[in-house]
Amino acid sequence: MVVLNRRLLLGLAAGGAAARLAQAQEARAQDMPAHEKALYEAAKSEGEVTWYTGQMQAEPSEALGRGFSERYPGVKVNVVRSTSQVAFQRLAQDMRAGIAQCDVFSSTDHSHAAHLKRQDRLAAYRPRNADGLIQAARDAGDPDGFFHVTYLGLYLMARNSNAVSEAEAPKSWKDLTDPKWRGKIAVGHPGYSGAITSWCLLMRKMYGWDYFKALEKNQPQIGRSSGDPVTTLNAGERVIGAGIPSATTLLSISRGNPITLIYPTDGTLMVPAPSAVLRNAPHASAARLFMEFLTGPEGQRVTRRFFGESLRDDVPPPPGARPLSEIPLITADPEALERDGQEVKELWRDTFGV
Amino acid sequence: MTDSAAILAKPAALEARRSGLLRRLRYLEPSNLLWVLLVAALLFLVAVPIGKLLIVSFEEQGTGAFTLSNYATAYGRARYLEALGNSLMLGALSSLFSVVFAVPMAWAVSRTDMPGKGFTWAMVMGAFIMPPYLGAVGWILLAGPNSGFLNQAWSWLTGIEAPLVNVYSFTGLALVIALHSFPLIFIFVKSALDLISSEMEDAANILGAGTLTAMRKVTLPLVWPAVLGGIIVVFLETVALFGTPAIIGIPARINVVTTQLWQFFEYPVRVEVAAAYAMPLLLITIGMIAVQKLLLARKGFVSQTGKGGERRPIRLGGWRWALLGYCVFVGALSVLMPLAVLLQASFAKAWGRGLSFSNLTLDNYAYLLFRHEMALTSIWNTLWFSAAAATAAVIIAVLVAYIVARRLVPFGSALGFLAMAPFVIPGIVMAIGFYAAYAAPPVALYGTALIIILAFTARFLPIAFANSSAAVRAVHPEMEEASRILGGGRLLTIRRITAPLISRSLIGGWLIVFIVASRELSAAVFLVGPRTRTMAVLLYDLSEAGNFEVLAAFGGLLLAITLVLVAIGMKLAGRDFMLRRN
Repeated sequence: MVVLNRRLLLGLAAGGAAARLAQAQEARAQDMPAHEKALYEAAKSEGEVTWYTGQMQAEPSEALGRGFSERYPGVKVNVVRSTSQVAFQRLAQDMRAGIAQCDVFSSTDHSHAAHLKRQDRLAAYRPRNADGLIQAARDAGDPDGFFHVTYLGLYLMARNSNAVSEAEAPKSWKDLTDPKWRGKIAVGHPGYSGAITSWCLLMRKMYGWDYFKALEKNQPQIGRSSGDPVTTLNAGERVIGAGIPSATTLLSISRGNPITLIYPTDGTLMVPAPSAVLRNAPHASAARLFMEFLTGPEGQRVTRRFFGESLRDDVPPPPGARPLSEIPLITADPEALERDGQEVKELWRDTFGV
Repeated sequence: MTDSAAILAKPAALEARRSGLLRRLRYLEPSNLLWVLLVAALLFLVAVPIGKLLIVSFEEQGTGAFTLSNYATAYGRARYLEALGNSLMLGALSSLFSVVFAVPMAWAVSRTDMPGKGFTWAMVMGAFIMPPYLGAVGWILLAGPNSGFLNQAWSWLTGIEAPLVNVYSFTGLALVIALHSFPLIFIFVKSALDLISSEMEDAANILGAGTLTAMRKVTLPLVWPAVLGGIIVVFLETVALFGTPAIIGIPARINVVTTQLWQFFEYPVRVEVAAAYAMPLLLITIGMIAVQKLLLARKGFVSQTGKGGERRPIRLGGWRWALLGYCVFVGALSVLMPLAVLLQASFAKAWGRGLSFSNLTLDNYAYLLFRHEMALTSIWNTLWFSAAAATAAVIIAVLVAYIVARRLVPFGSALGFLAMAPFVIPGIVMAIGFYAAYAAPPVALYGTALIIILAFTARFLPIAFANSSAAVRAVHPEMEEASRILGGGRLLTIRRITAPLISRSLIGGWLIVFIVASRELSAAVFLVGPRTRTMAVLLYDLSEAGNFEVLAAFGGLLLAITLVLVAIGMKLAGRDFMLRRN
């Protein structure tokens, strides 16, 4: 009787599992809202979408591509990851050559999207899922719907926890000019990182360019991308990282590297990063579907897995990060960024020599 | 030959002259047609992209109107001129270091009874196949002023706080570059040394010269063309290098031509200014080739003749251990030490935690091999792009070298110049030249594999050419003349006489091009499309991603693959080598 029961139970369990699986698949299909379903049908015949991105690092970018293909089987994502400047250069080269390869363009530099919009290179498309984004992300998007914020980069400071204790660590951006940090700081380069350009603009606005002259006296080690100092900190070559991305740092911390984040009291830099569908996108429907994915909960969940900030209330912040509502945030005015970005890069090079 | 070429260049000849033309075409040797094809190939690969660059440098952005303002912008700031000066100094210093590393090793391996030749050879190959930017990362770990293992060991041993070595310095940058370019000089010099028979040294010995004097007065002067060729190649490669100056130069606050060019490609892209900025480099090449000609003029360097010649290792006695020590020292600096720190990082969960059992993982490799979407594709891309480019470059180079050496056509040296010119053009600019010339319709090559293969072929033609021309120059024409006298045509002679004589050099040349192409970054970084990313580009992307463990693992994969291929190649080239010795 017991045996029979057990068999019965096993059978029931197996049947139940199969049924649940089928249900899950069905639920997923039903779970796909009507607007996604229609796009998906069209996207399936296109088969792929090419995404130029500088927003996230290679691994999460590729995970997003995979996540998309899992949710929408039959549509492959060609992920072309580089720094934002390089991604934009590639796109500019495509355009000069008169070649349409890119469907969706994502960078951390707001001026890229604004420039493309002015040049009439973008398609207006308002993803339905973008309605569920948090206020800050919605506000930073294009009011005409040509581009939308799909990622929020947070840039802050960090210390090598073996070398610098919490008590002696700098608390604010301003503290970095203290002579006791001479030869201890690592930072990215505005010529390679749009986020660092934003940071330069904000520091100039808050403290004047003298801030950088004082920083130069501390002989910071200059890398390229904003993520470079993470490597430098891991090695112990320098012990304070400035303007480093929270996602890369949290990932590195989760691997066991001796780093601790510092949220500056004078404001964590927030860089809203836009994505847009190209007007001449060769896979127009897949491109629009990809925008839905990036702004929707599935895409944000993938982002969160790699310690990216969540842009939706229905997806919690990544582990180890403080909620955006609890920290002071500063963000560069996109117009100022476009107007003065080139100027601060030149100023930087005059001050730092590279 | 001159006549037929001139006629071919004028297809619209008058009807009355056409029958005459056809009659004369009948006497055209097939080899002549080949020369014409060759000229076309060189024009396509080198002249058109460079010409396009030259034109663009005088064009106003957008309108295309003639202007000199690009030059005014390119040389209008002290910082830009300083970068140019830095590059020249860096090239000179790196070449100097490379000669110091390479020539004693080449002499030891080729001419002496030094033990451990296999090991030395392996070290040289290792230094060569390790991508320079990977070596640079290794050296940052070794010689970073605060965290570098060498400096930490130094402080621990002596108690002195100040760092022993600082990679973030001009000398550090030049040394790291030299540690990965000295194999070029080594390979050139060793192949040249291999061809010198001991009789020449014997003659010196009989007349009372010791080993050192014989080497200084007889052996080294005979390989002077190879040393000079090697120096030029290293100088030009250093000037054109992008990865290492970006990784070490920027933190060291050293701006060079390539990092400056990168700035001109920032948004808004100023291709025109970049083209103007690249022009002095072309002048430098012309100057260097002129100097080379001047130095080599009116001297005989023929060492391989139709008569036999015995090659015996020189007995060094106790000195052979000192020489081996030197080879081990260079090998440790260029390969063993950087490789050790990179391997440690590639197997680490978090390389900041150092060496410990709990920190070991294979996950970085597993991630690349099984979960990374681009890694395997980029490996495959790299292999076949490099193989295709190496094959094309060697074929073109050996034909050009032959024409130049045998003076088969007037202005043959112009062909030689064309084949040599691409090396000075920084890869980024080369890429832009290719981009400007061939990306857009009607050729429409942007984003294809072909444009990368063509760019690699053009970019490494100088290596193949230098290699081939050294090989061809070492074959005395008397052997070909024997074949010609017996009725063999030019092509038959090349196939049956010249090609077998130089085939070992050519396989060596092919390997060199294959290896440098497989690690090439600067030409690839602007030409890759969504499906054509190479390992070097992926490595570069990883290098600024803050995830050093994966970067190191990918470097490990790149090295492992190249090693396997080199082993296969060496086996092929080596068998030939053994046959010749016996």
